[in-house]
Amino acid sequence: MKTIKQINEKIKNGDAVIVTAEEMISIVEEEGAEKASEIVDVVTTGTFGAMCSSGVFLNFGHSDPPIKMMKTYLNGVEAYSGVAAVDAYLGATQANSDDDISIDYGGAHVIEDLVAGKEIELEAEGYTTDCYPRKRVSTIITIDDLNQAMLFNPRNCYQSYNSATNSRDEKLYTYMGKLLPEFGNLNYSGAGQLNPMQNDFNTTTKTYNTFGVGTKIFAGGAQGYIAGEGTQHSPASGFGTLAIQGNLKEMDTKFIRGATIPKYGSTLFMGIGIPIPVLNSEIAQTCAIRDEDIKVPILDYGIQRRDKPTLGVTNYKDLRTGKLSMELDINGEKVDKCIRTTSVSSYKTSREIAGELKDWIVNKEFFLTERVAELNTCAPKSMKADAKLVRDIIKRPPIVAKATISVPEASKILIEKNINHLPIVDENNCIMGIITSWDIAKAMAQSKTTISDIMTKYVVWASPDEPIEMVAKKMSANNISGLPIVDNNKKVLGVISAEDISKLIGHYI
Amino acid sequence: MKKRIFYWISGRNVKKPVVSDIIKTYDVDVTILKAKMEPSEGFLTLELNGNEDSLVNSVEYLKEYGEVEDISQPIQKKEEKCIDCGACIVHCPVGAIKFEEDFSVTFDIDECIGCKTCAKICPTKAIIVYDL
Ligand code: SF4
Ligand code: SF4
Repeated sequence: MKTIKQINEKIKNGDAVIVTAEEMISIVEEEGAEKASEIVDVVTTGTFGAMCSSGVFLNFGHSDPPIKMMKTYLNGVEAYSGVAAVDAYLGATQANSDDDISIDYGGAHVIEDLVAGKEIELEAEGYTTDCYPRKRVSTIITIDDLNQAMLFNPRNCYQSYNSATNSRDEKLYTYMGKLLPEFGNLNYSGAGQLNPMQNDFNTTTKTYNTFGVGTKIFAGGAQGYIAGEGTQHSPASGFGTLAIQGNLKEMDTKFIRGATIPKYGSTLFMGIGIPIPVLNSEIAQTCAIRDEDIKVPILDYGIQRRDKPTLGVTNYKDLRTGKLSMELDINGEKVDKCIRTTSVSSYKTSREIAGELKDWIVNKEFFLTERVAELNTCAPKSMKADAKLVRDIIKRPPIVAKATISVPEASKILIEKNINHLPIVDENNCIMGIITSWDIAKAMAQSKTTISDIMTKYVVWASPDEPIEMVAKKMSANNISGLPIVDNNKKVLGVISAEDISKLIGHYI
Repeated sequence: MKKRIFYWISGRNVKKPVVSDIIKTYDVDVTILKAKMEPSEGFLTLELNGNEDSLVNSVEYLKEYGEVEDISQPIQKKEEKCIDCGACIVHCPVGAIKFEEDFSVTFDIDECIGCKTCAKICPTKAIIVYDL
C-alpha cells in the first residue's frame, strides 16, 4: 500500500518507476499484480480523438470606450458572449457564419489557430448602456492579447465507444466518419488499452480507482485538471466521461487540432493523458487491461434512431487488425461477412501522449495530485420528445395492384381512390415496383400498355419503424413525393406521401 | 513492369476497342481503374502491366486515338497535418494507404491512382491534390 504523497517524494528524488499503460501489461503478466504494484509507482495513459464537446472561455479585456459584447465572431465563427461584457465561450463544433466555409473552418479551427499563435479577426457588436457605450469593435488579436484562454470541455475522454457500420444501400456521413453502404466498413474510435478511463475503472464498484475532481492531467500538451464527471457520464454502463479544463495558452497544436468530419461538422481532436498512481495490486491489475479485454459493441448507424441496433460485439485487438469477420442478419438471412475496419482516432498520438506524460514525471515537471472528490455516478436520461413513426400514420388497408392489370385499370384506381402512388406487388403482396399518375400520363403519350413497362422498378421504400423525419429526408433526396411502406419481407403495408407528412408537420407546429 | 496512365479518347474513336487491341497486340495486362464515357469523349485511368517494349508500343498505339498522360504523383500527404487517425485507409480503392507497425499512416504513392477519395475524407485536410 502506497500513498500519493510517497510517490511524489519518489518522483522528487528521481526514484519513482513510471511506465506507460502499454508497458504495464507485460509487467503484470510477468510479475503478477502484487509484485507489479511494488515495482511500479505510476502508469501513464493517453488518448487522442475527436472530442466534439470541447471549447474555450476567452476574456478579451476591455476596449476604450468599453463594449458589452452581444454578438461575437472570431474569424467569422460565432462565440457565445452572453457570459459577461468581454467573456465568450467558443465551441469546437460551431460552424462558420459564412455558408460557403461553414464546417471547413469552425470553432475547432479557431481554437487550433489560437494555440498556433496566429492572428484572429475579432468582430463584436454590443448593446449600448451607460457602462458600455460602444456599439461595435473590429480588431485583430492573437492568444497573447487575451487575458485568459481557458479550455473547458464539458464532455471528454469517453471510457468506451461503439463502433459504427451501415446496413443501408446508401453511404452515410456520421460523426464516426463515412460509412459505406451494405456494411462496407466498420469505424471505431478510442485508445483501448491506453485509454485513461479504462485503466482506472473498477469493474466491481463501477467507479474510478484513483482519479476524480481535481486530478492533474495532461490536457492538449499542457497541465490541466479534471473538473468533474462529463455530461452524459454513465459509468455503470462503462461509458464514463470527464469534464476537463486547462490553460489554452500553454497547449500545443500537436495535441489539440481542429478537424472537419466530412458532411458532419467541425470538431476538435484533443489529447488527454492521465497518470494513475499504483497504490495497490488492484490498481496494478486494472492498469494491465489489454485491447482484447475491452468490448466494443457494433452498432448499425443505418438506423437513424437514438437506439441503434447492436449487430454484435468485438474488441480493440480485433478492430486493429483492419478486418473483422462476422455473421450478419441481412433481410432475414444469415450471411458471413468480412468487414474492413478503420480507426477514426489516433493510436500513435495516444502513445505519444502517454510517453510525454511519462517524461514529464521522470523530469520532475509533473507531480500527482490527490482527488478532491470522486466523480458522481449518474445515468443519462433521454430527451422527452415523441418520435412520430411511419407506423403511426399508416393507412390501412394498403391500396396495391398486380402487374397484370392494364394501364387504364391502374389509372382508374388512382382516380377513384384519389391517390398518386400505386405500389405494384407480386402474389405475396411483396413490392415489385411503383406507379404514379405521371407514369400513367407518360404511358398514354408513348402508347405503352403494360404495367411492368411503365412502373419504376428501383423503388425507394420506408419501413414502419422509421421516424417521419427520415422519410421526409429520403423523399427530398430522391426527389419523389411518395414511398411505399414495406415490412421486413418487403410486403407492402401502405404508402406515405409528402402530403401526409406535411399535414403532420403542420399539426406539430 | 507497371505503368499507370490517364487516357483521353476522342469522340470519333470512342467505339474503337483500343483497350482490347493493346491487350491482344502487345501482350499487356490492363486494369481499368476508372472509366467515364461521355457522348463525345472518354476518360480512362489504366494500369498497364508488361515488359518495357509492350508498354511503349501500347502507349504509342493508344496515342493514335487519344491522349496519354503519365500519372505522376497525384497527391501528397502533409506530414505535419496528418494525425495518423487512419480514417482514410478503408476508403482507398487500391489499398495504397496502410497502418505501419507503429500505427503511423503511410501512402504508397506508386499505387495511388489519384482518385482523391482520401483527400475528401481526411478530417485535417492533410492531403494535397495535384490536379492534372
Ligand atoms: S487518391 Fe488517396 S484514396 Fe485515391 S488512390 Fe490515391 S491514396 Fe488511394
Ligand atoms: S485521414 Fe488524414 S489525418 Fe487521418 S491518417 Fe489519413 S491522411 Fe492522416
